[in-house]
Amino acid sequence: MLAKDPIEFSGVPLPQPRRLLDVETEATTAVRDSAGRKVAEKHLAQMEARYRGLLEAAPDAMVVVNQGGEIVLLNVQAEKQFGYHRDELLGQKVTNIIPEGFAERLIADGTRTAAEALAQQIGTGIELKGRRKDGSAFPIEIMLSPLESADGILVTAAVRNISVRKDAEKHLAQMEARYRGLLEAAPDAMVVVNQCGEIVLLNVQAEKQFGYHRDELLGQKVTNIIPEGFAERLIADGIRTASEALAQQIGTGIELKGRRRDGSAFPIEIMLSPLDSVEGILVTAAIRDITARKDAEAHLVEKVEELKRSNEELEQFAYVASHDLQEPLRMVASYTQLLSRRYKGRLDSDADEFIAFAVDGASRMQRLIRDLLVYSRVGKRSLELLDVSSEDSLQQALINLRGAIEESGARVTHDPLPRVMADEIQLIQLFQNFVGNAIKYRRPGVPLVHISAARNGGVQCIFSVRDNGIGIDPQFFEKIFGMFQRLHKREEFAGTGMGLAICKKIVERHGGSISVESLPGQGSTFCFTVAGSNNKS
Amino acid sequence: MKVTGGSMDIEVLLVEDSPGDVRLTQEAFRDANSRIHLHVASDGIEAMAFLRREGEFHDAPRPNFILLDLNIPKMDGREVLARIKNDEDLKTIPTIILTTSSAEADIAQSYQLQANCYLTKPVQLDEFEGVVKSINDFWITRVKLPQQR
Repeated sequence: MLAKDPIEFSGVPLPQPRRLLDVETEATTAVRDSAGRKVAEKHLAQMEARYRGLLEAAPDAMVVVNQGGEIVLLNVQAEKQFGYHRDELLGQKVTNIIPEGFAERLIADGTRTAAEALAQQIGTGIELKGRRKDGSAFPIEIMLSPLESADGILVTAAVRNISVRKDAEKHLAQMEARYRGLLEAAPDAMVVVNQCGEIVLLNVQAEKQFGYHRDELLGQKVTNIIPEGFAERLIADGIRTASEALAQQIGTGIELKGRRRDGSAFPIEIMLSPLDSVEGILVTAAIRDITARKDAEAHLVEKVEELKRSNEELEQFAYVASHDLQEPLRMVASYTQLLSRRYKGRLDSDADEFIAFAVDGASRMQRLIRDLLVYSRVGKRSLELLDVSSEDSLQQALINLRGAIEESGARVTHDPLPRVMADEIQLIQLFQNFVGNAIKYRRPGVPLVHISAARNGGVQCIFSVRDNGIGIDPQFFEKIFGMFQRLHKREEFAGTGMGLAICKKIVERHGGSISVESLPGQGSTFCFTVAGSNNKS
Repeated sequence: MKVTGGSMDIEVLLVEDSPGDVRLTQEAFRDANSRIHLHVASDGIEAMAFLRREGEFHDAPRPNFILLDLNIPKMDGREVLARIKNDEDLKTIPTIILTTSSAEADIAQSYQLQANCYLTKPVQLDEFEGVVKSINDFWITRVKLPQQR
């Protein structure tokens, strides 16, 4: 019961010892009033026993000192605290264990009587130094209370070793200094806010960012600089406690508006973290001015839009150019053909040769423009992906290629093919280009083409078109998918160099990828992916 | 050979602004059928004047059929088509769209306006000749048309 709670708090008056003292004072009064010395001694012994019991029950070291500054009573805790045996202390000067302060304040104070000094000190904790038997010093806090006895006024001192608390205080002070150091070292504005939403700490960056002097912000509501969102999210959320809100927000950046002293607003991102302190949970907010980032984002969006627009314009241009070029070219081609037909052998041999070159050039340009038109149409049309049978698409492609297949004697085989999500016209075009190439770039002998498909784990289907043709040198794998890229002379293989570019664009428009595996003389395998259908075929 | 109007010449109105195409068509028809008279209007206004025998066309023949390009100056081919098919007198004349456009919208609109058929000009000369030949074979040789007034 003695001094249990009170001593835990420094500077707080201690009511407990006083009550105890009152009781004891009554007892001692009774002793004094008694007439017989024997009776009194017996009484004292009784009282001492009782008092000793109380002393021993106390959690702190207790020392009772007489007016001569000698120790007359002490408890086990005092023995332990100071490292003496009881006998070594009894009758000794209290200055042996509390060298300074105790005596000065109480007893040896020349200008005041002990009673006066006592009256002044009772109930207040005094921080002094204790000295152990081994000479080492340690911080103590003592609480004094007077005890009237037959031997005059005694002083009971409750002595608490406060080295742990002292260390903690020192630690805390260091921590605070370090924390402040951290705050100032942070590249962002940092503001520490208490549960009332008041700013309790901030760094230089915060001053700069918001245009205030430190003193103008300390103690002010954080809503002065972050008008919305901060408090709402953390403290004032009625359905959540502050700590719950914190737990949810920690580590996530929140984009809000900051307000400078001049009233101007700017975009910020804040990161919150809780800070447990003696004043309750504080919130540390790292505030980043994201004006530059926001501007960059807006700039990026603008650029993307611009790029999209210019891309669309380019596609439109390619379409219009190829479409409109077709008309005059048709005239050139038709009339050179007409010339060739009607006047071949009727002019001289030079004329026949010149006309032949004109006819050839015109028809090649027509094919180029036709393929360019096909290419630009792949991008121009808005893609409508439907659940289609890739096997049906292949069959249609083979029908379109009937001439080439019959002429070459090619054997085209395929595995069962899945249903896919695709634009059917483009899927047919894809098969037609791949199978057409496989037949076109053949070696002597029967061209063999095989088409297979496999589910690529998830949603994608991988198709492969394998042939036994002339193959492709791996160094050209990238090149062949480019526009107007050709690996052969016209005399070897005719073509515009657009076929695989069209394939690539079709596949990419479908969100898939395209690749080739090949070695010269060993055939080629072209692979492409298309999203599979959810329906089982 | 069975010919509309007995042994009479076959009158065809070609509405086409490109001289190159006009000449190509003439050459192709000459090869296909020597009795065809190809009359040419180079824009929509002229085509309507020809059909209604207005001004310089006061003694123009009524064509057995019309070859109409969609993209022509002054009056668009679609407008010409609409006027022909809204004219009690002219609407019985088979009107064939012969154009470079293969746009779905053009095809649909032409049939909405009651074009008799829609053909795209092939890019290759021999294919173009093939188209002209099939026009001749079908619209001149095979098809029965109402008696001309």
